[in-house]
Amino acid sequence: MSRKFFALGIVVALVMGLVPVTSFAQDTVTIRYFNFTSSPDHLDDLAEIVAAFEAEHPNIKIETSDAPYGDYPTVLQADFAGGDPPDVFELEYQTFVNYAANDVLLDLTEYLDPDTPYYPRALDVFNYEGKQLALPETFSTVVLFYNKDLFDQAGLDYPTDDWTMEDARQAGLAITALGDNVWGIKAPITFWEFYKRAAQNDCQFFNEDKTESTINAPECVETVETMVGMLADDVMADDVEQAAEVSGDDKDFFLTGRVGMLVSGIWMFPLFEPAEFEWDIVVDLGMAHKGSAFFSNGVAIAKSTEHPEEAAAWAQFLTASETAARVRIENSWELPALDKPEYFEAYLAQTPPANRQAVFDSLNAVATLPVIERQTEMQDLIDDLLSAVVSGDLDAQSALDIAKEEIDALLS
Amino acid sequence: MAGNRGITKWGWVAFFLAPSLLGLIVFILGPVVYSLRLTLYDWNLLSDAKFIGLDNFRELYHDAAFWTAFEHTLTFIVLYIPSVLVLAFLTALLLDQPLRGRAWFRTAFFVPVVTSWVAVAVIWKWVFNPAYGLVNYFLSLVGIEGPAWLINPDTALYAIIITSVWKDLGFITVMFLAGLQGIPENYYEAAKIDGANRWQRLRRITVPLLTPTTFFALIISLINSFQVFEQAWLMPERFARRGASVIVGEIVDNAFRYNRMGYAATMSWVLFAVIFTITLVQFRFQNRWVHYDL
Amino acid sequence: MNEARKTMTLERSLTREPWVARRGVPLALQAAQYAVLIVLALIMLVPFVWTVSTSFKEQSGLATATPQFIPDPASLDAYRTLSDRMDIPRLIFNSFFVTVVGTAGQVIFAAMAAYAFSRMVWRGRDTVFLLYLATLMIPVQVIIIPQFILIRHLGWVNTYQGLIIPSLFNAFGVFLLRQSFLTLPRDLEEAAFIDGANRFTVFWRVVLPLSKPALATLTVFNFMALWNAYLWPLFVARKAEVMTLPVALANLAGSSRYQGSVEWNVVMAGAVITILPILIAYLFAQKWFVRGVTFSGIKG
Repeated sequence: MSRKFFALGIVVALVMGLVPVTSFAQDTVTIRYFNFTSSPDHLDDLAEIVAAFEAEHPNIKIETSDAPYGDYPTVLQADFAGGDPPDVFELEYQTFVNYAANDVLLDLTEYLDPDTPYYPRALDVFNYEGKQLALPETFSTVVLFYNKDLFDQAGLDYPTDDWTMEDARQAGLAITALGDNVWGIKAPITFWEFYKRAAQNDCQFFNEDKTESTINAPECVETVETMVGMLADDVMADDVEQAAEVSGDDKDFFLTGRVGMLVSGIWMFPLFEPAEFEWDIVVDLGMAHKGSAFFSNGVAIAKSTEHPEEAAAWAQFLTASETAARVRIENSWELPALDKPEYFEAYLAQTPPANRQAVFDSLNAVATLPVIERQTEMQDLIDDLLSAVVSGDLDAQSALDIAKEEIDALLS
Repeated sequence: MAGNRGITKWGWVAFFLAPSLLGLIVFILGPVVYSLRLTLYDWNLLSDAKFIGLDNFRELYHDAAFWTAFEHTLTFIVLYIPSVLVLAFLTALLLDQPLRGRAWFRTAFFVPVVTSWVAVAVIWKWVFNPAYGLVNYFLSLVGIEGPAWLINPDTALYAIIITSVWKDLGFITVMFLAGLQGIPENYYEAAKIDGANRWQRLRRITVPLLTPTTFFALIISLINSFQVFEQAWLMPERFARRGASVIVGEIVDNAFRYNRMGYAATMSWVLFAVIFTITLVQFRFQNRWVHYDL
Repeated sequence: MNEARKTMTLERSLTREPWVARRGVPLALQAAQYAVLIVLALIMLVPFVWTVSTSFKEQSGLATATPQFIPDPASLDAYRTLSDRMDIPRLIFNSFFVTVVGTAGQVIFAAMAAYAFSRMVWRGRDTVFLLYLATLMIPVQVIIIPQFILIRHLGWVNTYQGLIIPSLFNAFGVFLLRQSFLTLPRDLEEAAFIDGANRFTVFWRVVLPLSKPALATLTVFNFMALWNAYLWPLFVARKAEVMTLPVALANLAGSSRYQGSVEWNVVMAGAVITILPILIAYLFAQKWFVRGVTFSGIKG
């Protein structure tokens, strides 16, 4: 019995697999677009942009596919390894460098319409050795969220764009004193925070030509100590305490009013809407000077694509057209990296938070992300060492000495 | 016996073995051999692979992160395997009884097995929560202050071991149940006639006749626990990860996050060599303790 | 055990009655057994209960310091979101098709190979078996890329055969069934041969029916492995026409892009949808676990 069924099953499977995909009209070009930002909340929004593009270009059809954020790099690489990458695909900045260095991206310089209003800085980010190897699709940044009610209770003035880590620490002391289940600030101690504070404090990860790491310089040690110093005097909750309060999530931590200030990304705006207290944002804290995070996703084209013109047309439409920008902003689907203030009026008008202008003010001083070819390994090792400092197993200097050794090994 | 000589015999061997073996060669052995070749290369999936000889092995020898992960994996094995085998055996004995609602009990034990590690990890993170979790709650009843389990790098591995035993118990129990049911009832009846009590029946009939199943369970558990991965990847809090790193975690990091397929392949083959050796030793020794019939 | 008893045992082992084995167990012991089982069963089930209950919660009701088992308020939001975002019928069909065909194939191929390893004597047998075992010892993560490249060259990406065929050849089943076949008394097979049966008939009519517990076990395990498979379908089945449940659900949970905002109720609803079919399959397979196999027609 099961054998018959099995045989039938195999036949069905083979037949279904052998049936050829419906063929198109002769002159229609199909462009395959692979991405991770549209899933799961913005599939409709992407479809809207695709429809608008196809309306303008009747001979081009866009075939979209996506993968979850965590697995996306793996799947994309498997496609490249298999020799059949998608025509157009998204790349985070830190993975872009790897692809650029391996010469698998199409040089877009000749296809780029020079009038396209990209943020110059964003365009530079995806320029590798003089070639424009990707187009900036979106940008986001990290800001300081603060709980107005808690500040009122502690009798403090609200934070301003000029605040430093020290200012936050002082305010944090007062807020922590408000009670047992309240803390002053949550500023994560991870690579993603560290590189930014390091830039703010004039700590260089490498020397000029990136042949050696200088991460154990005094400015860097001071940076780590300042970050870890937030844990002193209970200004910041440690992981155990935070886990005891809620699920350990930063989002829940802030939403339940347990913390006065939170360093987090602007993508959290919609998630904090249900808050039962008043909150707002300012530009991220600084140290010796200011420097905000600048995250950008780019859209690149595979060098091996058979339809570079059509692919480039789609890439530009997706990243710079007014339709795309409008769809993104209206649906809180990240911010287009365009120098067009009029697009952002709708964004600025949304509340909370009221001070959305801070998002754009953040761009006045940006911390550059140090990127090397073996980026993920560097990020992981710094994360591990930072966690050793937090748990007290290492002091800041020793940790950074080890970091220097390991990064030197990565650079060689 | 019919068909037991010459070409006919090999014809039969081919008939039974060919589909499986051919498929294995094409779809598994082929890629496996490919990965062996990769150990001599440096490949980031985007560019061509570069031949680097034994450099990967040299690097692995000095790779502290790998050997720490190895140590963690061994700790996992030493604590997990005895626990799960003994508990599963006892549970199978219990579930083999003619109790009412047997099928429901058996299903209950199987539920963790079919639940994905994503869901299990989330739930047990809460169970191990230092302030509100069930584990520390019960410990406090006995006057012990429970540790920070998945938040402390020193204890994360133990939380993972406990969760793994919980999750896999049903899996191994089902194996033992199948084995128990393969024991002819009449061995027991004959023994009862001979005047053997429950304990003696257990020792003299059940345990020996169960050894093929035990052997299977042991081998499979060993092979699987050397490759433990998902729970160590999903469960620890960020800061505790380094305390629960495991070998396959290092392999996944290198293959999928660091783009070092050649190095990851090298790790895999070192792991293979270890598992293979241990399994071989088990097979050689099985004559001493595994009875296929009384 | 002497010869007479052995014969009696052999004959009667084929007509075993279920459920009679341990009559006469003292009541206290029985009660204790029940108690232990109930406690253990609760420990096994509590997390699942939480999963189900979370799937009926609203998004805002998720962040509580102490876990709540009763959703308050209860809502079908999560399931609605799931069906909005995913073509659930298609996904379930794909998962079912791949799982059922794959399981059937796996069990058949494994049984045949296991027979060759356990009941036939041929040169190189144990070496080849060791080869099978060896394939279990390489972490799948490192052979998956070469496998993917192979599938791509065969043109099987985004096809059912690409999903099913590579998974048909798994040594686990061969190992499990070999162990089981080895425990079967040879006398029955010998009797069948004497009666003129060829090897296949013996395999089909003697060995397989006697191995029902092991076969059922393997079927359930394979079903579960294929149903829950994630990594391989992630690479091979990206189009909606062939995508399976776990991949689609991971896309959903991928809303935790920046670690800030996992929609746990939706993730758990997905988990529930994934777990139910396997539980149902297992409940059905329970019937096969009944002790005793009646075998008619063979004289001692």
